[in-house]
Amino acid sequence: MRLTAFACALAIALAGCARREAGGSAGPTGGTLVIVATGDADVLFPPSGAVTTSADVAGLVFSRLADLTFDLNTVDDAGFTPQLARSWEHADSTTLVFHLDPRARWHDGAPVRAADVAFTFDVYRDTLVDSRFRPNLDAIDSVTVRDSLTAVFHFRRWYPEELYDATYHMKVLPRHLLDTIPRARLASSAFARAPVGSGPFRFVRWEAGATIEVAADTANFLGRPKLDRVIWRIVPDLGSAVGALVAGEGDAIEVIPPAELRARVRATPALRLVPFAANAVAYVAFNLTGRGGKGVHPIFGDRDVRRALAMGIDRATLVRSLFGAEGEVPVGATARAQWIWSDSIRQLPYDTAAARRLLEARGWRPGPGGVRWKGGLPLRFTLLYPTTSRIRQDAAVLLQAQLKPLGVDLRLQPLEFTLFEQRSVRKDFDATFQARTLDASPASVLQLFGSEGVRQSNYGSYRSAAFDSLTRRAIAAPTRDAARPLWREALGALNDDAPAVFLLSPPMAAAVHRRFAGVRIRPDEWLAGVAAWFVPPGDRLPRDR
Amino acid sequence: MLTYLLRRLALALATTAAVVIITFALVHLAPGEPFLAGAEGRFVPPETVARLRERFGLDRPLAVQFVRYAGNLASGDFGESFARHRPVAEVLAEALPNTLLLGGAALVLSLLLGIGLGMAQAARAGTWADAALGTVALACYSVPSFWLGLMLLLVFGEWLHWLPVTGMADVALRAPVGALHHALDVGRHLVLPALTLALVNGAAVARFHRAAMIEALDADFVRAARSRGLGEGRVLVRHALRSALAPAITLAGLSIPALLTGSVLVESVFGWPGLGRVAYEAIFARDYNVITAVAVVAGVLVALGNLLADLGVAAADPRVRRA
Amino acid sequence: MRALRGGWLRFRSQRVAVAAGLLIALLALAAAFAPLVAPADPLAQPDPVALQNQPPSAEHLLGTDRFSRDVLSRLLYGARVSLGVGAAAAALAVTIGALVGLAAGLGSPATDQILMRSVDVALALPRVFLILLVLALWENAPAGVVVLLIAVTGWFQTSRVVRALVLRLRESEFVQAARALGTGRPGLVRRHLLPHLAPAIIVSATLDVGNIILLESGLSYLGLGIKPPAPSWGNMIQDGKDQLFTAPWVAAAPGLALLITVVAFNLFGDGLQAALGPRRRR
Repeated sequence: MRLTAFACALAIALAGCARREAGGSAGPTGGTLVIVATGDADVLFPPSGAVTTSADVAGLVFSRLADLTFDLNTVDDAGFTPQLARSWEHADSTTLVFHLDPRARWHDGAPVRAADVAFTFDVYRDTLVDSRFRPNLDAIDSVTVRDSLTAVFHFRRWYPEELYDATYHMKVLPRHLLDTIPRARLASSAFARAPVGSGPFRFVRWEAGATIEVAADTANFLGRPKLDRVIWRIVPDLGSAVGALVAGEGDAIEVIPPAELRARVRATPALRLVPFAANAVAYVAFNLTGRGGKGVHPIFGDRDVRRALAMGIDRATLVRSLFGAEGEVPVGATARAQWIWSDSIRQLPYDTAAARRLLEARGWRPGPGGVRWKGGLPLRFTLLYPTTSRIRQDAAVLLQAQLKPLGVDLRLQPLEFTLFEQRSVRKDFDATFQARTLDASPASVLQLFGSEGVRQSNYGSYRSAAFDSLTRRAIAAPTRDAARPLWREALGALNDDAPAVFLLSPPMAAAVHRRFAGVRIRPDEWLAGVAAWFVPPGDRLPRDR
Repeated sequence: MLTYLLRRLALALATTAAVVIITFALVHLAPGEPFLAGAEGRFVPPETVARLRERFGLDRPLAVQFVRYAGNLASGDFGESFARHRPVAEVLAEALPNTLLLGGAALVLSLLLGIGLGMAQAARAGTWADAALGTVALACYSVPSFWLGLMLLLVFGEWLHWLPVTGMADVALRAPVGALHHALDVGRHLVLPALTLALVNGAAVARFHRAAMIEALDADFVRAARSRGLGEGRVLVRHALRSALAPAITLAGLSIPALLTGSVLVESVFGWPGLGRVAYEAIFARDYNVITAVAVVAGVLVALGNLLADLGVAAADPRVRRA
Repeated sequence: MRALRGGWLRFRSQRVAVAAGLLIALLALAAAFAPLVAPADPLAQPDPVALQNQPPSAEHLLGTDRFSRDVLSRLLYGARVSLGVGAAAAALAVTIGALVGLAAGLGSPATDQILMRSVDVALALPRVFLILLVLALWENAPAGVVVLLIAVTGWFQTSRVVRALVLRLRESEFVQAARALGTGRPGLVRRHLLPHLAPAIIVSATLDVGNIILLESGLSYLGLGIKPPAPSWGNMIQDGKDQLFTAPWVAAAPGLALLITVVAFNLFGDGLQAALGPRRRR
């Protein structure tokens, strides 16, 4: 009995050693990364996943045709690195040809073909699938198959970010596993709960509400990842999640907004904070029209009043109070992760004296209750924010106290998220506290503040021909150097008109266990570089073995 | 006995029906759109929302929707979860056992703690020991459960590192995991959350049981037993305990609603993947079918708990059966 | 009246309950006069960066929170909410319960059956779940709605107790006599039944308050009760729970306040019950 057990143990140990050497790539392989996530995935079907954890897992299990590099250059072709596509060329201004790597394989062994790419485009565009990426693919007219390894993208018109749109939004899907499933049922199919991709990790298991596990794809054509396993542990409460990290039950977490929790991580010797460029911005958008989108708002229809309010807010104190010393004041409708970010963008200064003068000049005089009045109307308005966002709630409380001495009566209205969305979309608000995780591409700002976005995400109905034309020219600029000055001007013009006040850009810092080496975080997808993370053999913990 | 049982069953059915109707009405009449919940940070076009409403039958009149829902329910179909894209029955099947495990462990623990404490107090009724124990029980009863959970987590999880801090099991264990190993692992994770629920509930049981024991110890037949020379210990356990047990069991049965609702907060603090957490997330995601299904399950569990408690009492006390 | 006076004498002899009662009175006074007693404005943020999360000091007896607001002042104003919601909801709940109990006890057997079966069913409804549902789905509800919801879902036990008492009292001699004399039902209720029901109702209410306060704090903890920046003990714990290590006083103060208050109410209620409740037959 004991002899058999010993023999088994020996065999397993030997097999383990053999496995490690057959990897092929130099460097130590092995190790388990346990990620603590505050939300469970909803579906692991890339077109439909709507929560961060879904995107994180899909990013490891699936691949793109080509991926961005760490400097997030979405304009130049040099900013992309081959993945499923070995090379590509612009046949003409509206045609992009991709040559797939013949070694690429799905995790079930089948080869990746151009037909998969065409199928993927079809699925992402299908209204029955209702992918949230559909609008991003508007500029692509069609995807055709030239031969089994060549896929051709046809665009409606030329623009510099063709390669970005062709590669970034879509994770390539296996046609042979999905084309028999009715499109409307794809998100609820078995595949969506046990996906098969072509990425560096293959799916292992998903216990709802508890854990998701993926394991290294040792036969991957781009080389196996160094780590053996990546496991997500789902802990809904952020405080408890950080507690799990501190107690050693987890190795990494993407972001910890509150400064106090970050302090806990700092106080734990085994953990370190890896900061990366912020990619989200929270702003208070004013409704320039009356309720429901008609007419002119009695307070915010006046550009000078908006400018006065913007100048009366001490953003630096707000940010310091919420985020501690790492907090940074946003420069405008952008964040550090975007290549258009620049600290030379024109902003309104914090100047309460100037704010007061401007309000007086526009007829808002101090009145009863310490509130300013004009023509029988008090300077009183309601700020909507979703109950799901603790940061915005705290910022709103600080804002209320800041505006009070200025004679502004700010009322807070927390709403459950879908009600918040509804009222924002229907323009049934005075001011709404929005937050956006910005795309790597700056073009999306047109949706938020361009005239074309008034029926969609431009809740405040801001219209400016100057801003529109500046932005369009910036988007059409062929190189980043040509585009940068145009973007600076556009965002500066936006700040001048103050249709919104850009209040917060939460500092991003991942907490990662010190034993992990080779850690680089890409701001748009923090796990994009995880295939290169490794654990030196001397630092391994029991769960790494 | 049979008529009693049938009457109680009918009541349980009526209860469940009431719960379903009320929850269905509340959920469908609430303002707000269910399909916007996953839309944080992006715009969902109204056409998409309209399409989804049509797909899930939400554009029909409320009465029609209810009839369809009730019909499906009768055949075991709880509908599909909007947020998770899978049958609600599957979501429940995964979460319910975890909540039952937590609730069951908490119930057993609270009975042990409560009956033990109640007996200890009754044996020393009127002394300072009684008052001290009573104060401890009262403190446990008066503290918010989420607060207690946070404190226990702090002390046992972080300061002492005796017990795991979150989750139901160690996620990094390599398969295959032996059944015993898994059971022990889950057991270790179960201790803190179950203890949190049990301390609060057990205090209630203790208060109740103490009063019942004092009453029982004073009864005639007990005094008779004493006068026959039986030791205090035997008097306590054999005679008094039996008659005081029935109210304790009733209380245990009636604790089921409290345990279910307490589990929302406790599951949140400890990251326990149970029904309470599912319900909370479903409410904020406006996942109508999941919300209604959870209400149904909760109603059934509560009705069952009442039924079992009543049966337990009836079995123990013949007088009740004839009532 | 004599029953009440006898009860008062018995109550007075229970020192713990009396002490609890005094504590409650003190809390109620502090809450009622919070604007006069509180050292600072609970919403004032003197310096959200330099003065945030300060430990207890002479100037801020219980320290400051993350927005540099004075914790003691917030505690006092929060007491208004917790005690106010607790008292109002308890009062409303026992009133509804008493009315239903009276109707069931005095009415026809059919009425009794219908009402009591409904109570049985209602007792099985998952109370917290339903309150959560309503508060989460409907727009920002003011405190009054919270009170109403808690009351409407919590009167059932009282109705049972009142009904049992009424049934017993109905058969008593003085009620029979009053009936024979032609006293109408309202007079019956007012003069003969209420004095006997009052003790039970008061006890029920007092013991309820503790649970209601805990319920309100749980709801605020989940973000559904009293909305910021107004303080309530529940949302103060929610505010401070992430700072248990760096600034424990922010969550500890309201937590302890909750504990002490609920214990006091329970002890007081126990004392009342012992003094006013049915005497054990010997």
